[in-house]
Amino acid sequence: MPRLSRRSLLLAGCAATLVSLAPGARAQQVATGAKLIVIILRGAMDGLAALPKIDDPDIRALRQLLVDPQAIALDNGFALHSAMPKLAEMYRAKQAAFIPAIAGPYRERSHFEAQDLLESGAIKAATHDGWLNRALQRAPGAYSAVSIGPAQPLILRGASQETASWSPPVLAEASEDTLRRLLHLYENDAVLKPSLTAAIGADMVAGDAAGGMGGSVGPAQYVQLLEAAARFLVQPDGPEIAVVSLEGWDTHIDQNNALNQRFGALDNAIAAARGMLGPAWDKTAIVAVSEFGRTVRVNGGRGTDHGTGGLAILAGGAIKGGRILGDWPGLGSSALYENRDLMPTTDARSVFKGLLRDHLGWAANDLDATVFPDSAGAKVIAGLV
Amino acid sequence: MSQLLAAIATTRFGLGAGPGEIAAAGGDPKGWVKSQINPEAARIPEAGLPSALQVIASQPAIYGIGPADPDMRMQAATNLREKMRAEIAARLNHAIVTPHPFAERWARFWSNHFTVAARSVPLSGLVGPFEREAIRPNVFGSFRALLRAATFHQGMLGYLDAQRSIGPSTVAAQQRDAGLNENLAREVLELHTMGVGSGYSQDDIIEFAKALTGWTIAGTRIARLGAGGQAQQRRASLDAEPGASVFVPGIHEPGARTVLGKRYDVAGREQAGAILDDLAIQPATARRVATKLARHFIADAPPAAAVAALESAFMRTSGDLAELARAVVDLDAAWATGPASAKFKTPDELMISVARATGSRAPRDMARFYRMLGHMPYSAPSPAGWPDDTASWSGADAIKKRIEWANDVARRMPRGASPGAFLEQALGELVSQQTRQAIASAESAEQGFTLAIMSPEFQRR
Repeated sequence: MPRLSRRSLLLAGCAATLVSLAPGARAQQVATGAKLIVIILRGAMDGLAALPKIDDPDIRALRQLLVDPQAIALDNGFALHSAMPKLAEMYRAKQAAFIPAIAGPYRERSHFEAQDLLESGAIKAATHDGWLNRALQRAPGAYSAVSIGPAQPLILRGASQETASWSPPVLAEASEDTLRRLLHLYENDAVLKPSLTAAIGADMVAGDAAGGMGGSVGPAQYVQLLEAAARFLVQPDGPEIAVVSLEGWDTHIDQNNALNQRFGALDNAIAAARGMLGPAWDKTAIVAVSEFGRTVRVNGGRGTDHGTGGLAILAGGAIKGGRILGDWPGLGSSALYENRDLMPTTDARSVFKGLLRDHLGWAANDLDATVFPDSAGAKVIAGLV
Repeated sequence: MSQLLAAIATTRFGLGAGPGEIAAAGGDPKGWVKSQINPEAARIPEAGLPSALQVIASQPAIYGIGPADPDMRMQAATNLREKMRAEIAARLNHAIVTPHPFAERWARFWSNHFTVAARSVPLSGLVGPFEREAIRPNVFGSFRALLRAATFHQGMLGYLDAQRSIGPSTVAAQQRDAGLNENLAREVLELHTMGVGSGYSQDDIIEFAKALTGWTIAGTRIARLGAGGQAQQRRASLDAEPGASVFVPGIHEPGARTVLGKRYDVAGREQAGAILDDLAIQPATARRVATKLARHFIADAPPAAAVAALESAFMRTSGDLAELARAVVDLDAAWATGPASAKFKTPDELMISVARATGSRAPRDMARFYRMLGHMPYSAPSPAGWPDDTASWSGADAIKKRIEWANDVARRMPRGASPGAFLEQALGELVSQQTRQAIASAESAEQGFTLAIMSPEFQRR
């Protein structure tokens, strides 16, 4: 039973409405127990800094400044940035895997367009709904999803109503007495009453997160956000899927300091989710991706600029970990994309499809056309879980 | 009765009553609304706000009319975001103080219909000028003129990628690995005029997209590419001031086009405009606009008779928007009260109505408010614009954030301010007995304000 906040004094009825966090009634239970957390690292994480291939003959010449000398050696010449020891531990316990040189089909370098396409699952022009929402509409059972962050992200927007969102308080919260009076005032309101009731219920699940976050989802909040996601997932009748947006990865300047802090926060956040999930960790898959990678070479400000090939991080008890997946394209100048970026060798959609099909068991979902339009070329990666 | 209608006039048609506004509308509520149907009333004070042309000229590298300068990129981004912030503040302040709140609501409706969102650094400098230059001057004119102004503005050309669309059989397209971009053509048909599933085909989209080629921003690489041909063509694009919306013949797909079964022989510059003029008065366009307006002024699911009345007003006047506004005001259903006819306020509407009721200026922390409620102006999530229905704005997390914000506003109310008086002044006879009692029995004025702002009737319009 997760820790309940001071809101627990409120009408016990609110707790019962956790079930209806999403408005649709849940007709049938989902039996498999599989949980999925999608982490969107907004701003383009430097995958080469997270997981440098330290035996690549060109890496020192190209980005000596940005290779962590204390990186933790894994396999095949790859090493994990030393700010992520817990992920390294999970890797050794075969509960984490990495896929370098990953990218969606997009080849320009605008954050906005790239995030829209990553989340909509489209190739050129973003659709108005997200791939995870479209997948939910065809899910074999009453699955639901929650997003953690200030607004419902595109990946979950769309016709499926089995989605909800929660975000930590920005300002001081209203007193319990005020909430009780509002509930009373909303007694006959078909819109406000269910929403406020569900909000109070959600707060009880997420815990009394420290107030005054200012609406930010920067590194200082990563742990709190992942913990909140995990709390929702372990609720009886809670959602099976959580989407968490972690911002702050656009490291044009003085990248080492910025990333040291962010990698550490991400490492702690995934470990915190593991702690909160408890036994459910064994059936959980976490995938963390960015809209694209960053330039291989260092820029004039000891940072990197928008690139192409990035890195996917997989973690969770369900993941067949201890592996570096995909193909390493190399860093020789002829191997680089447009002589500046890591050449993508794995399509991000192939990874998402693999998790939907093999982890959630949505085999009948129309992955190649409806969920990811025109994506037959992006073959499902089998055996991720 | 007229006091109740006055409260509806200021709440549903206006932006929430300011001090004395319900009384001012009281004599003739419909007349009060209709008196605002006036092109000047839809504009905002523009002092200190640059034109699209000035914005582009001030950052030539960002807009591709000067050599790229990576070192200046961050600084330029900051500068353009600051410009957008100034636009948001000016727009918000105007909404709070304007004596013509219906005209402002009407202008914002059309700005949302023709969404241009700041989804990139260059666009963040153009969203404000787009609304002030293309939308506001045209919202009480013909829909046709509004459609043309919106489609050909630099903001829209950039937002929906027409700026870089090149006629596939032009020399320019062969020189460069570039070609037709259908995005603007598709969204004009799907969102701005006829609506999805209303009878146009993918071929119509492609034909229309070809007609739109040539429209771009003067001085950009694409425009210079298209100017490479004959002397006459060169002149056409080089005469234009860099940064202007311009038609460049060299990147326009030559030949006649056929859209919706009609052949457009008119060549070059006039071709896209001729197609737009016809789309503007299609019956499907009338139906789509009528439906959106009825949804905005009546309810999420408006009565069919109201939609039909607006549709026929649109067709009868060939899309005269001043006449259409009068037709909206004349809809009985728009003056009804009760659950079936209530619109839930968007976050922006909520903040504006609180500020109007208290006679205050734009709050300094407006950006934080917009972020926490997910309603940053000029940042709609897609070309479809912000949603205009209750469900999109009333989710659990959204209500929780509204309460947090209301609580914060309540704490900062001046000593001695009365929540009861606030609500009476804002809503008049729309206040329910239950809410009056809740406020009267609040444990403090602060709590009373939170309850007043979060009351079911103040959350709606």
